[in-house]
Amino acid sequence: MSTSESTKGRVQLTVLRIIVYAILIFLAVLCLFSFYMLVINSTKSNAQLQDTFNFIPGSHFIDNLANAWTDASINIPRGLLNSFIVAGLTAVLTTYFSALTAYGIHVYNFKFKNAVFVFIMAVMMIPPQVSAVGFVQMMNNLHLTNNYLPLILPGIAAPIVFFYMKQYLESVLPMEMIEAARMDGSGEFRTFNRIVLPIMKPALAVQLIFSFVQSWNNYFIPALLLDKAEMKTVPIMIAQLRSADYSKFDMGKVYMFILLAILPVIVVYIILSKSIIKGVTAGSVKG
Amino acid sequence: MARVELKNIKKIYPVTKEDKRRKRKNEKPQHRTAHLQVTDKGVVAVQEFNLDIADKEFIVLVGPSGCGKSTTLRMVAGLEEISEGELIIDGSLMNNVAPKNRDIAMVFQSYALYPHMTVRENMEFPLQLKKMPKDEIAKKVSETAEILGITEYLDRRPKALSGGQQQRVAIGRAIVREPKVLLMDEPLSNLDAKLRNQMRAEIIKLRKRIDTTFIYVTHDQTEAMTLGDRIVIMKDGYIQQIGTPQEVFVHPANIFVAGFIGSPQMNFFDGALLREGDDYYVRVAGDKVKVGKEKTERLLAKDVQTRPVTLGIRPEHTVIVEEGEGIAAKVDVSEMMGSSVHLHVTADGRDVIIIVPTMAMKRNYGLGDALKISFSGDLVHIFSKEDETNLEY
Repeated sequence: MSTSESTKGRVQLTVLRIIVYAILIFLAVLCLFSFYMLVINSTKSNAQLQDTFNFIPGSHFIDNLANAWTDASINIPRGLLNSFIVAGLTAVLTTYFSALTAYGIHVYNFKFKNAVFVFIMAVMMIPPQVSAVGFVQMMNNLHLTNNYLPLILPGIAAPIVFFYMKQYLESVLPMEMIEAARMDGSGEFRTFNRIVLPIMKPALAVQLIFSFVQSWNNYFIPALLLDKAEMKTVPIMIAQLRSADYSKFDMGKVYMFILLAILPVIVVYIILSKSIIKGVTAGSVKG
Repeated sequence: MARVELKNIKKIYPVTKEDKRRKRKNEKPQHRTAHLQVTDKGVVAVQEFNLDIADKEFIVLVGPSGCGKSTTLRMVAGLEEISEGELIIDGSLMNNVAPKNRDIAMVFQSYALYPHMTVRENMEFPLQLKKMPKDEIAKKVSETAEILGITEYLDRRPKALSGGQQQRVAIGRAIVREPKVLLMDEPLSNLDAKLRNQMRAEIIKLRKRIDTTFIYVTHDQTEAMTLGDRIVIMKDGYIQQIGTPQEVFVHPANIFVAGFIGSPQMNFFDGALLREGDDYYVRVAGDKVKVGKEKTERLLAKDVQTRPVTLGIRPEHTVIVEEGEGIAAKVDVSEMMGSSVHLHVTADGRDVIIIVPTMAMKRNYGLGDALKISFSGDLVHIFSKEDETNLEY
């Protein structure tokens, strides 16, 4: 290759890199801009927010935090606790029982196995809104409104999580390992808990995160079932903010409310992002 | 250590929808059913398997892929349901007993080690399930690790071990329980040739150190011959022959056993068995050889008459004839193996292998060289053309 051709190639590569980086920077800014503004605005007082719009942080972060934390009308600490309890338990139970169901379908051969699998997949197609009215009626009849149980227990039946776990098991769990455990004297539940679950760690981590986030952000069913202030979860509280009269609100406090509402989710994603990537790609190549 | 009896054991797999569809359309059956009997109940993977295994005996089940050897082993383990027949271990019927209650350990082809546990934890696991005290578990694991030479690997995970090391850990996990019966399902098949030879020797040494009954499955006849007290040769779900390595080598029951056991494979010829009074002769491609005395007595006892037969002669028993009658042959390939030479020749329209000790070679043979071959009447095997069985037995 001559010198001029080589130079031309280098220039083309550099131009291409510049274009690619420009696009990536633009997309990154687009994604992160709203979060950035949320954080910036939560550091400003109401007066500063009414006055001007800029990208420079303010000095009222602690004030806004104190005001938001101690607000009488929106009890954000209680809301965070409720959301943690519901989302945490839902995530754990959903992940565990979906893994258990997937294990049962993967390992055992029984009559109507295929029909059961198809049924579970069919349930996935039904949007929750379809069964919401009947579900709320049933909870009313059972006197389970303003209670954590109807928010946590139905989450155990999660077809999407089951499907993901089943696909994962098919790629990482050879039957010989189950048979070896049986030969060693392990019962079926012990085999699942001591042998299979540890092998499924990447998949469990991914689904724990996704289930937690989904449950944390769930507004629809909690809004239908919870009306007592002390039981409300964070999305319900945020919705209350949306319907409030802004002119009477301290906007710095409002931004702080929203930041506190999404902070646990951001922390979970940042801390466990490696597990997400590992879990999503795990099992894609047979070891 | 236990006596194991398999009485008329049969394994039938239900016919699948795919099998039924193919049968309706007169299509060829799927590969796994191609050579197996298909009845109304289903595909018969193992046919009336009868075997009595003595305490501490090392039994090898050997045969080509799909012959039913692994299925039989898994029925003994309890991982497959027995369709018909009885499995008795130490006098107790085991058909409906769960694997964990049979006091049997198994080494799998892929080792099946628990990847999230260290070697020590893998070996401790079965003992913990028996609710053994911790100090006793530690002692047993330590002793077993020493027997197998894996003490230095106890705190490693399986992925940090080589294939041979993993295999020893799998064996260790099985023998640490001191089971009555140790089952091994092609444990050497994932190893390279050199390591396989090494591990074969290790298993022979191990056998001397631990007192238990072994049932070993392999498709490699060399492993079968070197390891087993007795060999069970299987094909298409049927037992072809049961015997010591020497018995199956010297007195093969049929053409399949004769061709399967021994490396290189036995040479086969179309020929004729001639009875002249109380003497027998075999004739092949113009060469006529008198059958040896012992073989003659056996044939007379069965009153075998003149008939077309298939003759089998092992490569090491096929000789080059310098003078006199013999089967004309032409050299295709000459392989210098060190202490012996393997001559691949074409004789009577067939590929034939002759093994000649290097020191006995009178001359070098090259491609296209003509020679004559023959055999001793004491060493020829005579098989029926109709059912391929050995006419002597």
